[in-house]
Amino acid sequence: MLGVARRMLRRSDLAEDALQESLVLIWRNAHQFDESRGNAKGWIFTILRNRCLSMLRREDREIPVAPEMIEDTPDHLVLDTAFHRLAERSDLRRCLETLDAGTRQAILSSYVLGHSHGEIAGRMQAPLGSVKSWVRRGLLKLRECLS
Amino acid sequence: MTDRALDLLIDEVVLGLADEGAVARLEALAARDPDIAARMEQARQRFAPLDETADELPLPDGLWERVQAQIDTSATSKPARPSAPDNVVEFATLRGALNRWRGAALGGMAAAILLACVLGWSMMNTSQPLVVAVLLDTQGEPIALIEGGPDNTTRVTLLERPDVPSNQVMQVWTKPDADGPPVSLGLLNTARSRVLSVKGLPEPHPRQLYEITFEPDGGSPTNLPTGPILGKGLAKAPVT
Repeated sequence: MLGVARRMLRRSDLAEDALQESLVLIWRNAHQFDESRGNAKGWIFTILRNRCLSMLRREDREIPVAPEMIEDTPDHLVLDTAFHRLAERSDLRRCLETLDAGTRQAILSSYVLGHSHGEIAGRMQAPLGSVKSWVRRGLLKLRECLS
Repeated sequence: MTDRALDLLIDEVVLGLADEGAVARLEALAARDPDIAARMEQARQRFAPLDETADELPLPDGLWERVQAQIDTSATSKPARPSAPDNVVEFATLRGALNRWRGAALGGMAAAILLACVLGWSMMNTSQPLVVAVLLDTQGEPIALIEGGPDNTTRVTLLERPDVPSNQVMQVWTKPDADGPPVSLGLLNTARSRVLSVKGLPEPHPRQLYEITFEPDGGSPTNLPTGPILGKGLAKAPVT
C-alpha cells in the first residue's frame, strides 16, 4: 500500500500520511463490505488512491522537504516499471500493448502517477484537447479488448 | 447519457481523471442503480493489477500508534480554535475548514462507492460483527480481514493467497487482554477464508490485537505464537 502511495505522491512523508489517513477510513468503514465477492483488496486500494488523488489535487503541498524524502525517478521509468511488472500474460498488459505508445503512457500516467489531463498534456507537450481525445479513444479500445 | 458516454465516465473516474463534479454525478447514479455500481466495480477490477506493480515498502515505525491516535482524536470533539475578531477573515482558518470539507467529501465518496457495491450483501446479512480488523503484513499489504462476533465467532477473509510453508498451517490469534498472552482462535488448515468458533473468551473489544502466524501442523505446540507473523492489526468497532 505504501508503495502505491509513494508512487503517486512522489514523497515518502506524504505517502505515509496518505496511508495513515486511509487506514483510519478503512477502519471506520470496514464493516460495510462483502467478503464473498472477493473485492476487499480493490476496495482498500480505491480508498488509498482516492486519498492520494485528493492530496495531489490540493495546491498547498509546496512545503519544503528534506531531499531524501523526494522520489526522483523520472516519470517514464516509473511507468515502464509498472507496465513491465504486469504479468506477461495478463489481459491488462496484452490490451495496453495494443495501444500506441503515447496513449498508453497517458493512461498509465493517470492511474499510476495520478496525473490530470493537464499534467499529462504538459509533460507530453501536446494540446490538452488532443490528450483528452487520445485517452478517450484509448479507454474505449481497452474496454473492447478487455471485455 | 449513452452507454458509451457512461463507460467513459466510469473509466475516467476510476483512473482519477474526472473532475469533482463528474465524480459526484457518477456516485449519485451508482447509488441509485446497482447495475452502474457493478459496472464501476468491473472497471476498477480491470485496472487493479496496476496496484500490484508498486514497490513493496516497509511500514514506517509507529504507524499503528498514529492510526490509533487519529481514530481516538476524531472520535472526540475537535479542539476549539482561537477565534479572530469578527471583521478579520483568517485565511488559515478558512483553508483549514476547506480542507476538512474536502476530507469529508472524500470520505463521503468512499462511503458512497462502498454502499453501492455492498448494498445487496448488507441487505441479506443482518448480523453485524462487533469488531473488524484489517491485518497488514510487514510490507503494509492488507492480507486478511477479521470480523469478530459477540460470541467470538471470527470470520477470517484472506485477501492474499498466502505462501504457507509445507507441514505448516496458519493460526489465528487474538489478545482479549492487551497485557495478557495471545489466545488461539483456531487454525486455517486449507489456506482459505473461513469462520472460526471458540468458546470461553470475553466479547471482543475495539483495539483488540489480531494476528495470523505460521505454525507446525496441528497448531502451535506451546499454545502461544511461535512462527513468523503473516499479518496483524488492531480491531475497531464498526459504525452502525
